[in-house]
Amino acid sequence: MATGKAASVVTRQVRPILSLSHNEARMRALALYKAWYRQIPHTVNENDFPKSVKQCRQKLREEFMKHKDVKDVRVIDMLIIKGQMELQETATKWKQSMHIMAYWKDTVNKKPTDFYSKFLEGKD
Amino acid sequence: MLRAPLHRALSLPNLRQLSPAFRNLSTTSAQLEKIEVFVDDKPVMVEPGTTVLQAAAMVGVEIPRFCYHERLAVAGNCRMCLVEVEKSPKPVAACAMPVMKGWRIKTNSDMTKKAREGVMEFLLVNHPLDCPICDQGGECDLQDQSMAFGSDRSRFTDIQFDGKRAVEDKDVGPLIKTVMTRCIHCTRCIRFASEVAGVDDLGTTGRGSDMQVGTYVEKMFLSELSGNVIDLCPVGALTNKPFAFTARPWETRKTESVDVLDALGSNIVVSTRTGEVLRILPRLNEEINEEWLSDKSRFACDGLKRQRLVAPMVKNEKGELVSCEWEDALVSVAKAMLRAGEQTAAVAGGLADAESLVALKDLLNRLGGEALCTEHTFPQDGSGTDLRSSYLLNNKIAGIEEADLILLIGTNPRFEAPLLNARIRKTYIHKECDVALLGPKVDLTYDYEHLGDDTATLKKLASGQHPFNKKLSAAKNPMIILGGQQFGRQDAAAILAAVQQLSQSLSSALNNKEWKILNILQQVASQVAALDIGYKPGVSEIRENPPKVLFLLGADEGTITRADLPKDCFVVYIGHHGDQGASMADAILPGATYTEKQGTFVNTEGRTQQTQVAVTPPGMARVDWKIIRALSEVVGTPLPYDDLNAVRQRLTEVAPNLTRYGSAEDANYFAQATELSKSVKTQLASTPLDVKLKELQDFFMTDAISRASPTMAKCVQAVLKQKSSKY
Amino acid sequence: MASRILSRSAISIFKNVSKAGRQTTAPFSVGAVRRDILDEELKKKEAPLVTVDSGTHPHQAGVTITVSGKEYLAPVTGIPEEQVKTRLVRIFKPTRNTMQSGSANTHHWEMEFDGRERWENPLMGWSSTADPLSNMKVPFASEEEAIAFCEKNGWQWYIEQPKPTKSKVKNYGINFAWNKRTRTSTK
Repeated sequence: MATGKAASVVTRQVRPILSLSHNEARMRALALYKAWYRQIPHTVNENDFPKSVKQCRQKLREEFMKHKDVKDVRVIDMLIIKGQMELQETATKWKQSMHIMAYWKDTVNKKPTDFYSKFLEGKD
Repeated sequence: MLRAPLHRALSLPNLRQLSPAFRNLSTTSAQLEKIEVFVDDKPVMVEPGTTVLQAAAMVGVEIPRFCYHERLAVAGNCRMCLVEVEKSPKPVAACAMPVMKGWRIKTNSDMTKKAREGVMEFLLVNHPLDCPICDQGGECDLQDQSMAFGSDRSRFTDIQFDGKRAVEDKDVGPLIKTVMTRCIHCTRCIRFASEVAGVDDLGTTGRGSDMQVGTYVEKMFLSELSGNVIDLCPVGALTNKPFAFTARPWETRKTESVDVLDALGSNIVVSTRTGEVLRILPRLNEEINEEWLSDKSRFACDGLKRQRLVAPMVKNEKGELVSCEWEDALVSVAKAMLRAGEQTAAVAGGLADAESLVALKDLLNRLGGEALCTEHTFPQDGSGTDLRSSYLLNNKIAGIEEADLILLIGTNPRFEAPLLNARIRKTYIHKECDVALLGPKVDLTYDYEHLGDDTATLKKLASGQHPFNKKLSAAKNPMIILGGQQFGRQDAAAILAAVQQLSQSLSSALNNKEWKILNILQQVASQVAALDIGYKPGVSEIRENPPKVLFLLGADEGTITRADLPKDCFVVYIGHHGDQGASMADAILPGATYTEKQGTFVNTEGRTQQTQVAVTPPGMARVDWKIIRALSEVVGTPLPYDDLNAVRQRLTEVAPNLTRYGSAEDANYFAQATELSKSVKTQLASTPLDVKLKELQDFFMTDAISRASPTMAKCVQAVLKQKSSKY
Repeated sequence: MASRILSRSAISIFKNVSKAGRQTTAPFSVGAVRRDILDEELKKKEAPLVTVDSGTHPHQAGVTITVSGKEYLAPVTGIPEEQVKTRLVRIFKPTRNTMQSGSANTHHWEMEFDGRERWENPLMGWSSTADPLSNMKVPFASEEEAIAFCEKNGWQWYIEQPKPTKSKVKNYGINFAWNKRTRTSTK
């Protein structure tokens, strides 16, 4: 459907957010991952929510792998900033256990994904 | 300067020669030297003869106007467009005054402002202050322009307390509500009626403050294009009667879509609120409907919420249709399909979109069924539907304006495609194009040469022995429009062959090799897409080999009845209205109308367009192609497309032109089609050519949507009443 | 800017936590860092403890970096993934309302999402929708801007080209021509 002209792909000079190179951004991502990884046992210990350290670390990996294909250094930086904010909110208990549980989306009703059930439900 | 073109016309000795000379005027004037004028000190180069108002529009300055309209003759009577021209003692009327070299037009000077304020003051003195209860409120030119160009205070005081000027309201039929006190005498409606609609009913009586616009005697405005005067009216004098007091324009959600109630595919804007289609307005498209819309397309929208099928239904053991869940309905249809196997067939109606057409064809083909037909026929002898140029309006609708002689065969374009007829009338008036008609004598709103309704005349024309052949071969751009209705005749193949031979013999003698002559005017919106996808025109195949399961995809014309089918035939109706098709069905799968789905439609000129979703299908109704896709899953052969994009990819595979939205692909296989048509054995029958829609009352109710519309029913009654009156 | 302040406070909080005698998590900073410190820290087998260098934040320092490829902001815009992947945008120029003669509001490009389900709310009868983007109509100066915006947000799009209008020569005189069909009989 998306026919016609696509936005031109050009190389351009932009102001950085944090990192000056992709490698630097990668370092930051790894550092954030490590920080989270070490925070998880404390969070599990200090909060009352029905997830084990292993499950949390699995979720952590999942959240990071969601963005594994992001290439733009600035977008990586933004994601790192957001991740750091989450970490801070978790570590300082600004987030309560139900907020942490929101990562698992346990209470969200699954929407149908196959055509036939979508048809019967009448949703797009 | 006003005299110049007239003068040129007069210098020509002979009236016949006048027409080509006048036609060339626009092309020669393009070669003429452009002249420079200044609008608010901005220089602009314009062609000679351009009016001040047009020159100003070129630099983006909009001059206020009431009487002037792009598509109507210049009247110059409202005086709102007065502007100052340097060194001119008086302000000039911008809409009627052609620019002269070096003119300095001041659209914002004190004199201009004073002139506008003066005009506006006079208009408002005689205009009621009923904006709060006026239906035009929010899209009223008088409101807009009094805000932008009027004075900021009123000097009007009714010292005698005798009230403002008041005029009695007229009754011009069930579509147009009149509040004549609001009329500002711009005469747009009068000019529309006499120029575009060709119905000289409206006019003015009286002078000064006694002047009134009306129909002289109280009568209905008998035109198939009457709704357009509602758009044209710059104030609330003429408003939409079915829409009266329903909603304010700023409350409605507007969706740009396409009309499907005739084969032209007029562009429309659908106004909706709270899940209801409230009104339909035309959308500007120079290539199809310009700025007009036929009354059926505009007012049949109340049929969209009546007689709707809102839940799936299956016949129970007593033979009654009972509503049920989707799953139950799909399962019972699937069972019948699996039992029938190859003996499944389908008939597609006139409102089906290309997506559902291709999905249904894929589904039936997978089960081995090959009998997929359309309700409207097309001769299969000769080239049949293999060559696209044999079933399209090849010159395109806009191409009519280049024709100098039009021959209509077996069609009444006034009611089959009102906007096509408006184009012909426009060409007739402005380009002095001549028209001839072979078929029943009907009122086309313009003069034409009637060649009778005899098929013998057609035979003579094809063989070149008719006196009219001389005119045809003398014409530079002749055009033949054959009505699609004639294909329902027994001798359809012979008629098509005769017309093909006639147009081929003409085109070989043409100088302009690009010009096509043969044009087919289709009757319904789905026909071209169905033929492109590979549906068989006409239901004869189903009559010959009665199927065990018959799908009716919105087929409501009654071309197949219960009597044509064996007793055990399971009829499935997929469609949106409880009409003929649903009444003979064993299972009903409720679908969506054209305002409820994003669907592809191909109009009679082969232009692909898509409708947009304006409202949600009511109740449990679903988009048609999704019903077929879901059914395919129950049957056990799921079709390989899950979303609209994927269906459209499939459409592109079948016929790439079906997804090139907005463009009309040219087709040019006339010579081959004519060669093949020589093998046609059918002889012309002696029955005269006939058309279904002869009078205005036949026009309003022609499909499932308009048959369900109470407004359309009122129109039919009003027309019949008017026709029985002595005026 | 905000990130820097935040990272500072984050670090200070981490320090407080560690003062409380718990085993601390690895402090982490997103501010501008001094490269030498970072390199030093990364040699350790711990998450790096880096300090924010207030003077040389790259965002302010006038440094630029080179990026190539499509700009794709969908991961950070906060728009739910399902609203990115399933939506189709129509880019068009609004048409003039035929009820009015002015041409205002038609000189820009606009984007509009595909129509989604609306229903009548059973409580009040109002019109409801579950589509967060249904009222998002963004005006643009040109079609390129609109396309770039859609690509950046990851929406599929298609363009509907505006229908060109022809202007024709208007002539007041033809109303009164006696030998042409344009002669008007009614007034």
